[in-house]
Amino acid sequence: MPETIGLHSFILSHFLLTGAVVFALGLVGFLSRRNLIVMFLCTEMMFQGVAISLVAFSRYHANDTGQTFVIFVLTIAAAEAALALGLVVLLFRRKRTLDALAWSQLHG
Amino acid sequence: MNPMLDKLSTLWPEMTLLAGACVCMLAGLSGSAVVRRSPRWIAAVSLLLAGLCVATSSVAEPRHTGAALVGVAGLAVYVKMAIVAVGLLLLLIASQVPDRLRQTQDAEAATGRGGVFDPAGVMRGEFFAFFLLSLCGAMLCAGAEDLVWLFLALELTSLPTYVMVATSRDRAGAQESAVKYFFLGAMAAAVFLYGFALIYGATGSTQYDQIAAFVHAQSASGQALPPLFIVGLVLAVVGVSFKIAAVPMHFYAADVYQGAAGPVTAFLAFVPKTAGFVSLIGLLGPACQANAEQLQPVIWLLWIMAVLSMTVGNTLGLLQHNVKRVLAYSSIAHSGYMLVGLIAAVAAATTPGAVTAGEHLGNGVAALLFYLVAYGLATLGAFAVLGCVTTDQGDEAQTYDDIAGLGQRHPLLGVIMLISVLSLVGLPPMVGFLGKIYLFGSAIQHGYIWLVIIAVLNSAISAVYYLRIIGACYFAKPNDQTQVAVSPAVQLGALVAAVGAVMLGVAGGRLVDAARDAAAPPDAAVVETAPLPDGDAESWSPQWADTSVKW
Repeated sequence: MPETIGLHSFILSHFLLTGAVVFALGLVGFLSRRNLIVMFLCTEMMFQGVAISLVAFSRYHANDTGQTFVIFVLTIAAAEAALALGLVVLLFRRKRTLDALAWSQLHG
Repeated sequence: MNPMLDKLSTLWPEMTLLAGACVCMLAGLSGSAVVRRSPRWIAAVSLLLAGLCVATSSVAEPRHTGAALVGVAGLAVYVKMAIVAVGLLLLLIASQVPDRLRQTQDAEAATGRGGVFDPAGVMRGEFFAFFLLSLCGAMLCAGAEDLVWLFLALELTSLPTYVMVATSRDRAGAQESAVKYFFLGAMAAAVFLYGFALIYGATGSTQYDQIAAFVHAQSASGQALPPLFIVGLVLAVVGVSFKIAAVPMHFYAADVYQGAAGPVTAFLAFVPKTAGFVSLIGLLGPACQANAEQLQPVIWLLWIMAVLSMTVGNTLGLLQHNVKRVLAYSSIAHSGYMLVGLIAAVAAATTPGAVTAGEHLGNGVAALLFYLVAYGLATLGAFAVLGCVTTDQGDEAQTYDDIAGLGQRHPLLGVIMLISVLSLVGLPPMVGFLGKIYLFGSAIQHGYIWLVIIAVLNSAISAVYYLRIIGACYFAKPNDQTQVAVSPAVQLGALVAAVGAVMLGVAGGRLVDAARDAAAPPDAAVVETAPLPDGDAESWSPQWADTSVKW
């Protein structure tokens, strides 16, 4: 069990930073993009950012739990991709556009 | 015995539902008209079987002690039983949803004319299979003892609901709400997953008992909890708050509740919310090994979430003209009330000497578990009634005008709406009143006076829009532009929910006891107290005078 995790674990922090940047890029893209497929890819990117952190932690703690977790994360990401593409095709057939703003009929 | 087999033996209900879902999917594609109409019966049978499995399951000794806010086994049994019971009612009111779809009717009509049956056109199998899978996910959340498991269970709860929303109506609105729900849900999933990853990083394990051991060791040695752990916990709580539709993850609720068909909206208001709250109880359990100062950031986060959810939900609810949106904002507000109970539970667990097992009031988790059922019944009745009224355009009733005079036009639906709404307000003798007494009582006992004052003020604000619904039903000129069509199944489901809301309000002692037992800490012997006289608010003895007043 680690005492604390700080910047002294030099390699770990690099990987964590990479993961955080990928996650943040995905989040920013999700909030700023309007194309449904690009928005979906951005959520996938957030998942991959987490996966990088998980693998880094797994290496740091010298146990396999994090890597096992990543396998499950990838599985869920694949299931979400199937669902997202199905939904996007359904929406595209109705309006012939991938613009998220075309779908703003519901509002308060 | 083998721990793997031990764990598997608690999963019979989930396995039953999974098998039922597979059979539903196959039966829905059958060329025989009788077989492909059967998925709703298959779903009902597998739910009943799952209920039987829960009822006969022995509450195994928890594998670990002191790891959780509550004993996982007791909690899981209570939550699974609640999911089966409310799930059956949801199935009753949702039984007609796929049949109403134009594509289902077209496919059936084509077959009737001697054409070839097109399996792709009929949604019954998929709808009920996803219905069962989502319930299965919610049950798995209740039994989770590991972050990986919890992640998978939460996703299993959510993913089917996206499809159910998209296919619940022919309208573009349903698809719009599905896509909003899906995208925000995927984003929230990434956020709580990041939280789980950081918790794992800080503690080196994803198992609740090992996380608890880590936190306990830190706490015992007087060290502060690693910031990584706190940040991870905050991200996890914020991400999971999407499932319970609490601020800051509430943006989807109004649009999604409005776009989905009434019965599916009722499903969304109960199942993901239950899964979310049970997950929060599980997640906060290991963290509660720390003392109150160490957990202060998380307690503040929950406090802010509770206050904002109540206030934002009720204020925006006041401004709406669409009843489904009103109920959506009320759902946000109710999550805020339930968070009050959760805060009390965390306060109890982190304050030494404040163990309140066996007490009715002061037990935040028990109050929360009881309120989940109370809210589920009330909201189910309200959405079921809304689903029965259609406008001239063939759309579901949406505005106050659409339900005007419902009490005169269809007295039974009017009464169900009345009972449901009164229970949501929290008026006696409905179950909502009892639920709110327990929730707020638990918070008062741990000194959260201001929180309870805000909650009570919010209840008063919410009464305005709830009474407006009743006013529209009973005192407005009946609207001839709408049709009221009730199928027997919907009527039965809504009626049972309404009767339940009254019965549990006047004689809810059994359920209260069940909730209290479910919330008993794993290693504390449950003190058998004499059961409260049913629904008796007199026995509420405030003991908060000797606890310090907190915000």
